[in-house]
Amino acid sequence: MIGLILRRFGFAAFTIGFVSLIMFAAVEALPGNVCTSFLQRFAQGPRLERCIEQQGLNRPAIERYADWVGGAVQGDFGYSLKKRKPINELIGERFANTALLGGLAALLAIPLAVFLGIAAGVRRDKPLDLSLSGAAMLAMTIPEFVTATALIYVFAIVLQWFPAVTIMRSGMGFMDMLPNIVLPVLVLSAVLIAHIMRMMRASVIDVMASDYVQMARLKGVPEREIIRRHVVPNAMIPALNVIALTVAWLLAGVVVVEKVFNYPGLGTLMIQAIYDRDLPLVQAIALIFSVIYVGVNLLADLAALMIDPRLRRKGH
Amino acid sequence: MKKSLLLSAAIALASTAASAETLRIPHELGYGGSESLDPISPQRFYEAIQNMYSRLVRQGDDGRPSPDLALSWDATPDAKEWTFKLRPGVTFHNGNAFTAQDVAFSLMRTQSETIDSPTKGVMEIIDRVEVVDDMTAKVVLKQTHADFPLLVMDYRIKMLDAETCGNDLDALCESGVGTGPYKLVELDALGTTTLERFDGYYGGTPGVQNMELIAIADQNARVAALQAGQVDFIYALSAEQVPLFANNPNFTVQSVPTGRWVGMVMNTTIAPFDDARVRKAIRMSADRDALGKLVYGQGGFITTCDHPVWSGDQYRADLNCDRDIEGAKALLAEAGYADGLTVELFVSDISEGAVKMAEVLQNQAKDAGITIELVQAPADGYWGDVWMKEAFFATGWSQRPADQILNEAYRSTAAWNETAWNSADFDAGLDAARGELDFDKRKALYGELQKELWENGGSFIPVHLNTVRAFSSKLSGIEPVEDFSIRYENVTKAGNEG
Repeated sequence: MIGLILRRFGFAAFTIGFVSLIMFAAVEALPGNVCTSFLQRFAQGPRLERCIEQQGLNRPAIERYADWVGGAVQGDFGYSLKKRKPINELIGERFANTALLGGLAALLAIPLAVFLGIAAGVRRDKPLDLSLSGAAMLAMTIPEFVTATALIYVFAIVLQWFPAVTIMRSGMGFMDMLPNIVLPVLVLSAVLIAHIMRMMRASVIDVMASDYVQMARLKGVPEREIIRRHVVPNAMIPALNVIALTVAWLLAGVVVVEKVFNYPGLGTLMIQAIYDRDLPLVQAIALIFSVIYVGVNLLADLAALMIDPRLRRKGH
Repeated sequence: MKKSLLLSAAIALASTAASAETLRIPHELGYGGSESLDPISPQRFYEAIQNMYSRLVRQGDDGRPSPDLALSWDATPDAKEWTFKLRPGVTFHNGNAFTAQDVAFSLMRTQSETIDSPTKGVMEIIDRVEVVDDMTAKVVLKQTHADFPLLVMDYRIKMLDAETCGNDLDALCESGVGTGPYKLVELDALGTTTLERFDGYYGGTPGVQNMELIAIADQNARVAALQAGQVDFIYALSAEQVPLFANNPNFTVQSVPTGRWVGMVMNTTIAPFDDARVRKAIRMSADRDALGKLVYGQGGFITTCDHPVWSGDQYRADLNCDRDIEGAKALLAEAGYADGLTVELFVSDISEGAVKMAEVLQNQAKDAGITIELVQAPADGYWGDVWMKEAFFATGWSQRPADQILNEAYRSTAAWNETAWNSADFDAGLDAARGELDFDKRKALYGELQKELWENGGSFIPVHLNTVRAFSSKLSGIEPVEDFSIRYENVTKAGNEG
């Protein structure tokens, strides 16, 4: 069991290392570099040479990669030339903001989606199921920036209940942030709920049709008990992977949603960094995202191990 | 520290209740949060410095310099020594008196190697500044320049307090202490920067108590913020965004000409563009008005005849450059291309409308037998890999006064001489204009230079761009002038509608 867990951890670490290499190589392959993008039209002659010297761009790529990975492992992502600040300082507060947004969305969406999925699955093809499934289809097919724009139009511009974009002021506490978070959390949750609910429903329907559920019914176990003891735990296993994938999707969704709402999180920072070609910052954020992605999948694996004893046997 | 925290908390609380007392302007976060309060820094925080500092001279209604911190000025007959008489009784935000020492300090630091300011190239014309007395500064130039006041009219040449800046010519000075209508309360470039009206402002008390400069990087988010009443003003609407505000009584839309331009550049030393007839044929084949409407929309531009001097400039020459297909064909035939000409044009998404403009030119030039093949280059690294490297390519410039743009882009020795324009006569003309103290004669000289560019130059500059802004109809006092010249101290804001 311990060996199994350690193996999963080792594999996760290897994946992150591989991703960091690909990212570095991709950034290297782009035309131009930090200096040409920073200096724009001034990128010529001694000014360019000085910048290249200062940034250490004249060293071989392998050396720079080793430096970067070495720093990142110790939690130091280097310095942003464009923003004149250490990257750690830039990321810190923004990471908290994004975690707040994504965390709230996940907290709201996952239990609700699981509950709705079970309800729809149990009442298959009844009016409740049809309306929930229909709504989920709609939420899945509309891109989140469209949902976001529609919500802004209705709740911020017409009704003026919530702000359209987040405006940061110093000394803002959690309570001041709250009105700003409502609309983005709604947008993110809508898609999360739709995906997870549909998977949960399908999985519940599968289990409901299984032999052991039939058997339990024949033995006279009350329907409530069947759902609680047999259906939900078995239906959770396939749904867990979907939850993990969907939470990973959240990372991409957060970037789009943050941009639309001017929300000061990692997503807007990432877009700015790409726009500025602030490569060290892009690399740092991409690495953080990949760590979260791999981490969430690892968690799903471990949770599945816990729920399903069959997976703990050797050979799995 | 504690006080500023309390103050900003109070402002945050009061911001909805007393929004009539706060002017809320978004800023684009163009430098991603590294915005500097030093007006000559490459990352100058434009929206803040515009309101916190003042210049020696400002742009008057006719485009000519008018008094600001300097009340009057005159030059020696060789236009090499300029004496500025300063406005007496002006104080900085910290109570220090504004004197000629500050003028000397603020002008000389633009030349610092360490700061490496974008203003350095232009201001290097200054040899030294002599402090005649507290209220008189004499600027001695290295060479003649009859329009020197125009150079110090640049929006970045602001007067700083030498004492606050520690008299250090080589250090950035980000204190924010100026003589302008608003003083700094708190700098937070990534969030909300707060300014407060300076009661000692020499131009009278500003109309609104507080100003907030709010970071919103995305233009669509800025539009939503204005619609939802979270900001009062936005700059630079695109043609598609104008209808959102145009017929709404809650908003005012203003379209004003600027000196910005996007153009196509032919290197005058590379065949076939080394033949002036080929260059002119390509330029004559364009229908500028139709092009402008297609690329920038009705009311989004003012047509120009291939010279960089904009419509609001006092030296703008009004030339006629109607489309002339027959003339273009004749010139081509004369140059040996009677059967048509094929050229490659490198273009990228570097400036507003650059790619569209190239496509329209491609279509219009076809009628004169010119085939333009568009080569789409990546915007990343464009200024290093394509610009001034290829024979025919796209460019974009921000607004500059006539003398400055002509010298920066067309003097044979200029670093950004993108057409490789090498004419001793033209250089001599530039020098002559700089040396001519009589305004009318000077205007005639600059006019000749613009005409020469239309006849023989390598730049295709079909239009100068207008900028369109929208603001809440509660604001009054925003003059229809370009962004750099808006005087926020004259703006007033009507109370909440409740």
